[in-house]
Amino acid sequence: MAAPIEKIRNFCIIAHVDHGKSTLADRFLEVTKAVEERKMKEQALDTMDIERERGITIKSVAVRLNYTAQNGEQYVLNLIDTPGHVDFSYEVSRSLAACEGALLLVDAAQGVEAQTLANAYKAIEQNLEIIPVINKIDLPSADVDSCRRQIEDVIGLDASEAVLASGKEGTGAIEALEAVIQKVPAPNGDRNATLRALIFDAKYDAYRGVVIYIRMMDGRITPGMKVMMMSSGIKYEVVELGFFRPEITPAESLEAGETGYLICNIKTLQNTKIGDTVTDALNPAKEALSGYKEPQSVVFCGMYPAVANDFEELRGALEKLQLNDASFKYAADMSDALGFGFRLGFLGLLHMEIIQERLEREFNLTLVTTVPNVAYRVTKNDGTVLTIENASKMPIPNDIQTIEEPYIEAEIITPTEYLSAVIDLCKKKRGIHVKVDYLDARRCLAIYQMPLSEIVLDFYDKLKSYTRGYGSLEYQIIGFRPGNLVKLDILLNGDPVDALSSIVHRDRAEWVGKQLASKLRKLIPRQQYEVAIQAAIGSRILVRETVSALRKNVTAKCYGGDITRKRKLLEKQKEGKKRMKQVGSVEVPQEAFMALLRVGDEGGEN
Amino acid sequence: MIGVYIHIPYCRTICPYCDFVKRPTKGAVPPEFIRALQTEIAAFDGPRDADTVFFGGGTPSLIAPGDLETVLNAVRNHFALTPDCELTLEANPDDITEDLVRAWIDLGVNRVSLGVQSFNEDALRYLGRRHDANGARRACEIVGSHFANWNIDLIFGVPPYDAWSATLEETARMNSPHVSAYGLTYEAGTPFGKRAEEAIDEDLYLEQYAATQALLHHVARYEVSNYAKPGHESVHNLHYWRNEEYAGFGPGAYAFVNGVRARNHVKLEDYLQAPGEKCEALTLSDEEIRVETVIQHLRLREGIARDDYAQRFDRSLQGDFGGALSALATRGLLHDDGETIYPTNRGFDLNNEIGLALVTVSV
Repeated sequence: MAAPIEKIRNFCIIAHVDHGKSTLADRFLEVTKAVEERKMKEQALDTMDIERERGITIKSVAVRLNYTAQNGEQYVLNLIDTPGHVDFSYEVSRSLAACEGALLLVDAAQGVEAQTLANAYKAIEQNLEIIPVINKIDLPSADVDSCRRQIEDVIGLDASEAVLASGKEGTGAIEALEAVIQKVPAPNGDRNATLRALIFDAKYDAYRGVVIYIRMMDGRITPGMKVMMMSSGIKYEVVELGFFRPEITPAESLEAGETGYLICNIKTLQNTKIGDTVTDALNPAKEALSGYKEPQSVVFCGMYPAVANDFEELRGALEKLQLNDASFKYAADMSDALGFGFRLGFLGLLHMEIIQERLEREFNLTLVTTVPNVAYRVTKNDGTVLTIENASKMPIPNDIQTIEEPYIEAEIITPTEYLSAVIDLCKKKRGIHVKVDYLDARRCLAIYQMPLSEIVLDFYDKLKSYTRGYGSLEYQIIGFRPGNLVKLDILLNGDPVDALSSIVHRDRAEWVGKQLASKLRKLIPRQQYEVAIQAAIGSRILVRETVSALRKNVTAKCYGGDITRKRKLLEKQKEGKKRMKQVGSVEVPQEAFMALLRVGDEGGEN
Repeated sequence: MIGVYIHIPYCRTICPYCDFVKRPTKGAVPPEFIRALQTEIAAFDGPRDADTVFFGGGTPSLIAPGDLETVLNAVRNHFALTPDCELTLEANPDDITEDLVRAWIDLGVNRVSLGVQSFNEDALRYLGRRHDANGARRACEIVGSHFANWNIDLIFGVPPYDAWSATLEETARMNSPHVSAYGLTYEAGTPFGKRAEEAIDEDLYLEQYAATQALLHHVARYEVSNYAKPGHESVHNLHYWRNEEYAGFGPGAYAFVNGVRARNHVKLEDYLQAPGEKCEALTLSDEEIRVETVIQHLRLREGIARDDYAQRFDRSLQGDFGGALSALATRGLLHDDGETIYPTNRGFDLNNEIGLALVTVSV
């Protein structure tokens, strides 16, 4: 039976990565007895192995909690868990749209971090009721007063009634739930109106097909009902619906204000658009729900099966992955060097790594990945404007009027002692200073505008190392700006290798080309014929390196027992060659396609 | 027709580069070892027709003629040796005397392999050999005057490097009908394993390897490291290089019969306790045998004949390996005359590349 709408609260937790969100969510499950303690694995809401290993949450999960409040009333609390990493801001925004309130979780020892700030602003934009929670107060280094001040000064929220919590010790969980009931408004929505439900996530289950996560906005939905996806007009019959508690639990209906799941016998994810509105097929709503942004790919790379025969398998794996991660894009692509593969677009670098790892781990594929890049906007002399997501597709220099590249505004929070190092780093990455604010005596917020391309390579890792792990980063795209950019080609034995092309700033092109050629010389193993490596801009060769020919590879003695030993050794070497790509006459190891990542900064520490 | 290998592990001194099974001894080869060999040979369960017997070591020249006779009797009792059976004994130059050589001939030994290694004193010292250059010369003269079929073992890549050509020239003057010349390898697990940085670079290696064939004008290369006058190739070793069957007796010896490659206990005590008991036995699939056979054959100048392959496996060489073989020919590592495929000179220098290409297609 559906809960009365005034007794429902839809809320989420927003936090910087590692500030204890998943642990606090676990405490909520405990105090509402949603999960028996003996069944409680640590971080019950992170269901994927990779999530548990990396300690981050990739997919948001919605859990329905039955809670008897201190006033004696029964409430239904729908907790929507959200990811905290910079790459997944789109998923955060989807979760936020399904909520009326948010717990803003701040680590008492760390204070406000870049994601805290960015996510809090997103929640404010969406008019969510925000309840500050200061977490990890059990830590010896906890500084609750400073945390309160930062929440008030930096974010502009009243922190006088902030809940004090320790997810680890379990304190503050009940107080936080009470605050949700008192402060977060019950959902609006007319249960007698035409059905409108927001799809905020979807997963693919091998047995049940697509499981859609919905937030009911208006009306009701029951099994057997014919529904329609408003973006595509495709109709489905509802097979099953229900809640997550956190296990999947069927129900007889979902009504306005509630959060739950829908199973409609959908076999592929392609027609399940996150952000779409589900309505009644027989009596469709006039207008779809608004407020959703399409996920925007900002980082692109090529992925190719190491073994050409695996192309169709890779396609199948991408289709399946896209079922529960609609935020990456892919399109078939053909590289002269790497053969048939795909061009993929991601929300960020971590997102890319996760997808690659899942492809290799869950689908047992061996992949060759190219260096990530951003999308460029190219205006040709004839006035046509192109979006270039792949450096090798860049028109020839003579045809180009301007190249524009995406810029971001970065908010970097760092302890003050590392500020000058951070400023140096930003300058090296072509950063434009906007301002520096002091959050308190120890930490400051630096705002820089810089090309996204400088961020995607190694900025985050560098920031972490420059600030001994204390620096945090959030950024948003602020648009395209013209740049003095050139395409840098790498030639192997005189032939340009498309997968090794990159777009670089003209002032650094020569230096990058030399570095790259030198790295490649070390990465490409000696082979039977000499390999010439050249870096070039257009027809101008910047540098040549040579991998000398392999002239001797012979086992002097081979008698009785040596025979099998030698065969095994050869088989092992053959295994190693699996990751090599035959590019023309040259065998190129997978790492070579990532060599650009290893090119250090001019005058830098590499 | 199989080959019979008998391993005599005893040595007067241990050479620091050697990775064969060996045991230092001041005295004679102990009687319990001879008894163990007798036991093992008598119990051998496999083909009985043999055309070679090869005493390797260690230092087989340490075995007393009486003991050698005992072992050979055991071999002859168990195996039917062909009338022209090749019977080789490896010898340390220091052990060679007129009397000993005559005793060997009386027992049927018809081939001696002399562990000369070098005719340069400094090289011999670097290798930790117990004989000197004059000892080697003297041994060569005695052996050469009694045997039509004999071998000089040499090692290159040994300092002083410029002495290699003199050693080759002297070897040519000795006119032995067979020469084995190996590039020194710094095997892990030997004292030399820790000195691998002393190994010569590729250029010098290839220079010495090329000089070997050039200066040994009396013989021709027929295997990666082996040279012979026509008709004087080592019949025993050809069993290995053609991946044919062989029996192996003594500690650490390998046998390959009925598709199983098996090794005796490596530790001498374990061997003496249970002669013939295996410490490893690998049953090879038909495919693995085919791959190994082609790889091994392509160590030989004679290469592999399409007809021989078809006869042995009842399959076509072209069908099994055609693609890889023609790719290797394109790379200049193999030559294909239509009937036979054999390595070019580059195919010897880069012989492992051939193997690598062949395992790639088959597994």
